[in-house]
Amino acid sequence: MDQKRLLAAIALSVGILLLFDLWNRPAREAEQRRQAEISAQQAATAPAPGVPAPGVPAPGVPAPGVPVPAAPLATPGAPLATPGAAVAAAEAARAPETRLPIVNPRLQGSLSLRGARLDDLVLRGYRETVAPDSPLVRLLAPRSDANPYFAQWGWTAADGRTPVPGPETDWTAEGGTLSPTQPVTLRWDNGQGQEFRILLELDEDYMLTARQSVRNTAADAVQLLPWARVRRERTPQTAGFFILHEGFTGVLDGRLIEWKYSDAKTEAEKRRGPAMEQESTGGWIGFTDKYWLAALTPADQATQVRAAYRHSAEGGQDRWQLDLATPAAQSVAPGAEAGLATRLFAGAKEVHLLDSYESRLNIEGFDKAIDFGWFYWITKPFFYALDWLFGIFGNFGVAILIFTFALKLAFFPLANKAYISMARMKTLAPKMTEVRERYKDDPAKAQAEMMALYKAEKVNPASGCLPILLQIPIFFSLYKVLFVTIEMRHAPFFGWIQDLSAPDPTNLFNLFGILPYDPMQLSSFLHMPAWAIAMGITMFLQFKLNPTPPDPIQAKVFAWMPLIFTFMLASFPAGLVIYWTWNNLLSIAQQYWIMQMDKKRQASRPAAAPTPPKPLLAGKAEAKPAPKGRKG
Amino acid sequence: MTPQQHLLRGAIRTYQYTLRPIIGCNCRFLPHCSDFGLQAVAEHGALRGGWLTARRILRCNPWHPGGYDPVPPPSQNVTGTAHAPVPRPTKG
Repeated sequence: MDQKRLLAAIALSVGILLLFDLWNRPAREAEQRRQAEISAQQAATAPAPGVPAPGVPAPGVPAPGVPVPAAPLATPGAPLATPGAAVAAAEAARAPETRLPIVNPRLQGSLSLRGARLDDLVLRGYRETVAPDSPLVRLLAPRSDANPYFAQWGWTAADGRTPVPGPETDWTAEGGTLSPTQPVTLRWDNGQGQEFRILLELDEDYMLTARQSVRNTAADAVQLLPWARVRRERTPQTAGFFILHEGFTGVLDGRLIEWKYSDAKTEAEKRRGPAMEQESTGGWIGFTDKYWLAALTPADQATQVRAAYRHSAEGGQDRWQLDLATPAAQSVAPGAEAGLATRLFAGAKEVHLLDSYESRLNIEGFDKAIDFGWFYWITKPFFYALDWLFGIFGNFGVAILIFTFALKLAFFPLANKAYISMARMKTLAPKMTEVRERYKDDPAKAQAEMMALYKAEKVNPASGCLPILLQIPIFFSLYKVLFVTIEMRHAPFFGWIQDLSAPDPTNLFNLFGILPYDPMQLSSFLHMPAWAIAMGITMFLQFKLNPTPPDPIQAKVFAWMPLIFTFMLASFPAGLVIYWTWNNLLSIAQQYWIMQMDKKRQASRPAAAPTPPKPLLAGKAEAKPAPKGRKG
Repeated sequence: MTPQQHLLRGAIRTYQYTLRPIIGCNCRFLPHCSDFGLQAVAEHGALRGGWLTARRILRCNPWHPGGYDPVPPPSQNVTGTAHAPVPRPTKG
């Protein structure tokens, strides 16, 4: 009766979910259209790329007391933008911006000399999809793109009168293409005795060094604040999953500081300023995606810097910025030179590469850009083990299977220990039936008596809570590693799995491709891939072997768990579902094997002998029949 | 009950309905560790109850015989007598 009710309740819930999804669809599509329109509009208006975004001052509102004009560009005499429509008019007459090409074995792109803005960068080693001809992953994009994302270097005039280079400044570049063998210097003279320079150097991987300097040849000292920033003018699509951090991240003074986009927005609005602003000796800050990172760090880690995470809203668009500046404006005496050297990391979060930057450049906690989580000290070694196996077997899926097997093997003695006592328990069977008979009407009392019996005979069928609880962080860590590491991206497995980090594409609801339609178009809940079904079946079998909870409601939840999980995991990365299926299979196999061993043991000795069994079969299982040898 | 007690009990309840069905029910004691925790926190407060529960979980391993192990009554000096009803496992 209750079963039926529960079934009805579940059917009803699923029905409501489907209905809600359908009902929500028009609104969702309208929203998508609106977004598309906005980006189209912006693409149309964007060709004036330099129009200083209103309300976005140069970064680094520095220490209180240091006056920083919000519009550092409106200085007379400077060949810079004037606000308003005049800009647009002037813009049309100006020569198109020139670009400095950038290339190394892993990156290609260009830097706009107008504003010294690095806003065009693609990763040569990564493609958007598994298709071999799909476009390369674009990390940085110009303002004319739908997802503007760029890095920029500049100065703020703290004295309020020195003309500084702004977003409209045309820099001159010395040297052709920026490459590992060819550094490039950008120059700009403000005509009032200050010459600004940015020396750019690129390495073989993802690191660009920018040495900003200003030389003062005028008669008076000037106050300047050099800064570097990374700006993102559209909120990126995030996985939105709680075990993966995406957004602002960084390590300042040894402390990891992570802000989700939504939280940073709330905080910035609450504080009416930056969501986070902090001085630090060395350290780094960046925007992290699941696999990509754009981060800033001082070139010399002994440098004192001021770092900030910022949010601003313009025309309903959220804009995100992180910047690194000197803690206070630098006073540049006549004839003197001052500056700031920073590095920009723009690329894929490959663990070994981040590790090597951390040790080579002394960047503290740079590998924390990968969200290894609370269990860092477990997850990171797990990653190394998986990566090592991947190196041997050449397939990340196989590496997962072998590593899971090794973990199970490590925990085998614990599981085995529990089942060994089962053997002796069988000898207690007559006494147990006696107890059960005696307290037929009082199950609680019967259970208590049973426990007393276990204790008297020093047997207990369960392995205990401690070993089980200890396993949770281990398996969670493995799960986390699989979820966050780039090595699983576009990694194939056997059969139809082309990408372990994407959901299994097969679907039960179109009979695995026999019916020519995509049920996902009706509702995203109508997705039931083959591997998820395999996971559900193995989970069900494993639950059959597990003891059930004593509480009837919990027992019911327990019974439905495989079904709930099958649906929950349907849209998960295939690698995780395969891992879970394999883990269940191993648990079942382990249980079955121990039971078989136990049977053999039973058969090979007199039924009622209470003495510990003699080790007939070789193996750990029987090496220690008495529990006394080990201590917990 | 104090907010801390509610919080702890809520966490244990959540465990019972979410994690426990996944990892299985492997307790060697009666009452089970989670039920012990619920009762201990209710009767002894968040701090002492949590402490009792932590000790109970540490005892719940294959090298302890397990068995009947109720929450000690609140009136007693708990830290001293918590394990009196349950003999320590034989150590050899």
